Amino acid sequence: METILQGLLDMAGVNAAVLFDGAGRLLAHRGRSVYDRALCEQVGGPLARAIDSMQLQHEDWESASAQFTDGTLLLRRLDTTSAGPCVLALVADATLNPAFATVAIRVSSNKLKRALDGGASSSAVGTGQGSSVGSLPTYPPSPGPGGSQAGPPAASGSRPALANSGLTWSRTGSGGVMAADQASAGFLNTCAHELARHVGPMAKIFVEEAVRKVCPDLPFSLAASRALADELAMRIEDDADRQAFLASLKKTGGK
Amino acid sequence: MTELETVAGLPGVSAAVLGDLEGTFLGAHRTADGETIAAEMGFVGSTLLEIGEVLGLGALTSFSLSGPAGACLLVVRPRALITALVTPPQSLGPVERAVDTAFQEWT
Repeated sequence: METILQGLLDMAGVNAAVLFDGAGRLLAHRGRSVYDRALCEQVGGPLARAIDSMQLQHEDWESASAQFTDGTLLLRRLDTTSAGPCVLALVADATLNPAFATVAIRVSSNKLKRALDGGASSSAVGTGQGSSVGSLPTYPPSPGPGGSQAGPPAASGSRPALANSGLTWSRTGSGGVMAADQASAGFLNTCAHELARHVGPMAKIFVEEAVRKVCPDLPFSLAASRALADELAMRIEDDADRQAFLASLKKTGGK
Repeated sequence: MTELETVAGLPGVSAAVLGDLEGTFLGAHRTADGETIAAEMGFVGSTLLEIGEVLGLGALTSFSLSGPAGACLLVVRPRALITALVTPPQSLGPVERAVDTAFQEWT
C-alpha cells in the first residue's frame, strides 16, 4: 500500500498521502519532511469525527476537498470488504494540479481498495518505513512469458490530458532530467505519452525517475532507450498493456 | 441581497443555510432542515480548522463534498458559514466558481 501512496506523493504539490480506517486509525502513510507518521496520526481522530458528521447529511459521499489559505486536503472514501470504510487523505500545497490529482486519487483508490481486500497488497508493499523523501517505490518485477500478474490491470480509463499536453524535456537540466540531444528528448516525450495511456498522469514523473535510474550521472541518450523502456514497463501492471507499451516504443524508434 | 440569498440564487443550488462555526443557525433558503445542517456543518468546519492548524495549512476557506446523489459546498465567511446543497452533483464545479466570483465582488 505504501507503494501506491508513494505514487501519489510523487505528484507535484503533494506533501503527504495517508490512509485511515473508519475510526481514524492510520493504516499507511507516506509523507515529506514534517508530515511524518506522528503528525498525520494526530489528524486521524478529528478527521473521523468530521466524516461521521458529514455522513449524517451525505451518507453516500465519495470525495471531499477542503481548501485552506496555504494548501488543500483531499479526501476519498474507500468502501472495503475487509477493512470497512476507509479514507484516503492527500495533503497538498498550492502547486497541486487539481485535475491530475483527481484522476490520480481515483486510480490510487481503486488500487488501495484491491490491496485492502486482499489483492495485490502483499506484493506491492514497499519496505519504506514512515515518511521519507525521494525513496522510490518498489514495484513487482516484470513477469516473463506466462508469468503471473500481481494484480488487476491498471486503470486504463484514466487516460489523461497528459497524452496530448506536448511535454517538453530540458536539455539543460532545469527540469531535473537532461536529454543529450533532440532525438533523445523526443524519445522521452514519446515514453511519457505512451506510458500515460496506461498509468495516468504520473507518467512524466515515472519517466523522470527512470531516467535518473538508468542514466544517473549523464544526460539521457538513445543508447539507454532499451533500459529506460524496460524500467518504465515495470510501472504497468497488466501484461498485455506492458507489451503494447514496449511495442509502441519500438515502433517509434526505441531500441 | 445578502450573501445567503446570493448563494441560494445560484443555478444548481437546491438549498442554502447560514450558520457559524459554533453551529448556530442563522437562516436558510428552501430547506426546513436548516438547524440540523447548520449544526453539522459548523462541527465539520471547526474540525477542519483544527486539522488545518495541525497540518500547517492555514485557515479554512471552503469545503466541498460530493456523492452520486448530491454535493455540498461550505463557504467560510468572516463571521459565518454558508452551506449550499448542490443538485445534481455535477453542478458543484460551476457553483464553486460562481460563489468565488460573487464573493470577490463582495470584498
